[in-house]
Amino acid sequence: MSKRYGTTVALASLDLEIERGEVFGLLGPNGSGKTTFIRLLSGYLLPTDGHLEVCGCDAVQQSLEARRRIGYVPETAPVYGYMRVREFLAFMARLRGLSESAVRDAVDRVIAALALEPVADRLTRTLSRGFRQRTAIAQALVHDPELLILDEPANGLDPRQIIEIRLLIRGLAGRHTVLMSSHVLGEVARTADRVGILLDGRLRGVRAMADTPDLEEWFLSLA
Amino acid sequence: MRSLGILLRKELLATFGSPIGYTVAAVFLLVLGYTFSLTLFATKVANLIYIFHQMYVLTILLVPALTMRAFAEERRNDTLELLLTAPVGEIWIVLAKFLAVYGLVLAMYCGAFAYVGVLEAYGSPDWGPIGSGYLALVCHAALIVAIGLLMSSLTENQVVAAALTLGTSLMLWFADSVAYLLPVPLDSIVLNLSLIGHFRPMVTGSVFVSDIGYFVSGALLALFLTTRRLAER
Repeated sequence: MSKRYGTTVALASLDLEIERGEVFGLLGPNGSGKTTFIRLLSGYLLPTDGHLEVCGCDAVQQSLEARRRIGYVPETAPVYGYMRVREFLAFMARLRGLSESAVRDAVDRVIAALALEPVADRLTRTLSRGFRQRTAIAQALVHDPELLILDEPANGLDPRQIIEIRLLIRGLAGRHTVLMSSHVLGEVARTADRVGILLDGRLRGVRAMADTPDLEEWFLSLA
Repeated sequence: MRSLGILLRKELLATFGSPIGYTVAAVFLLVLGYTFSLTLFATKVANLIYIFHQMYVLTILLVPALTMRAFAEERRNDTLELLLTAPVGEIWIVLAKFLAVYGLVLAMYCGAFAYVGVLEAYGSPDWGPIGSGYLALVCHAALIVAIGLLMSSLTENQVVAAALTLGTSLMLWFADSVAYLLPVPLDSIVLNLSLIGHFRPMVTGSVFVSDIGYFVSGALLALFLTTRRLAER
């Protein structure tokens, strides 16, 4: 698939399949097209040409069905500042189609999974960057999606928080398919099962981390 | 419909949880109370025509402050990404925002019912024009709120959204003045776009389907364009 904005090509003829249950890392410098690709997968953008399938659903023709199966955390970890954490998670759960009876259990589950208990009744605008990021991930997981999409999940976090988020993502592998983007080589190397390198809107290569002893060297050979 | 209920609850929380709504309502009622007292003491006539015109003007001036944040703020905070990647149609997002702001404006209008009570207590008001005047305001508010949402969907800057809404509303208000300068048949087309031209007959007690149709179709067009704007990806 491709994505163009007028005459500017953001993604050119990208051909990629992500396996169910894997953690796929999308690596590339700023402006390489990572966020565009992630926004296409999340349904926020539509491809200009080509075919995009998300969890077996055509992302254009069956857009609502595809969106039902994903959880998405944008780069800035947006939250509604006037809502409390629990309230925000319940809102997102309802919006994603969970029944009223399932909402409370789902919210309690993600609050426990993301260790949000200390801030569960606080307004989201008062949260630290780390708790805000976790809240954003919790909203993406609240409906137990097949595919979790994370745009630069380690951005702005301190080293301890980065380790916690990494462990969390690794813990999701198998039960969920995870696509994460990053411009930090080490972060992708430690978290992903497979990695794809995106440069200037083109996918330059895809490899399993097990077959890539030196990610840095491989990246430099492509760049 | 469930999506609409969920989104509407969120919008009401945002609207009534923000100081903007209360400030606008307070200013609206304060200015209106001032005008009502002055008009009543000056004319000593038990009608609300002046007050309805005042409400018409205040709606044009104050509604942009209520609608400016609708989409502009969501876009600036990136929360629009959360809404547009959730499995809900754009139409429900637009309708929820419309109903929340429209509800607040109608609540402000309800506050002005006190003046009807004063007239009833101390005079003998003609209820026909009062009823049609409120109908005119309800229609007028729907159009201005819908225009405000459309403008807010075009930008992430709230001040720009408010300025665009105010500018568009003022252009529509004065469209009848411009019409006299235009050749046939443009003059009649522009004349029919006039906001005040469709408001004035209703507020004086003459209710025409064409006038109601103007406000309703204008509001529906603006909401449709807002939905299309959100669906552009």
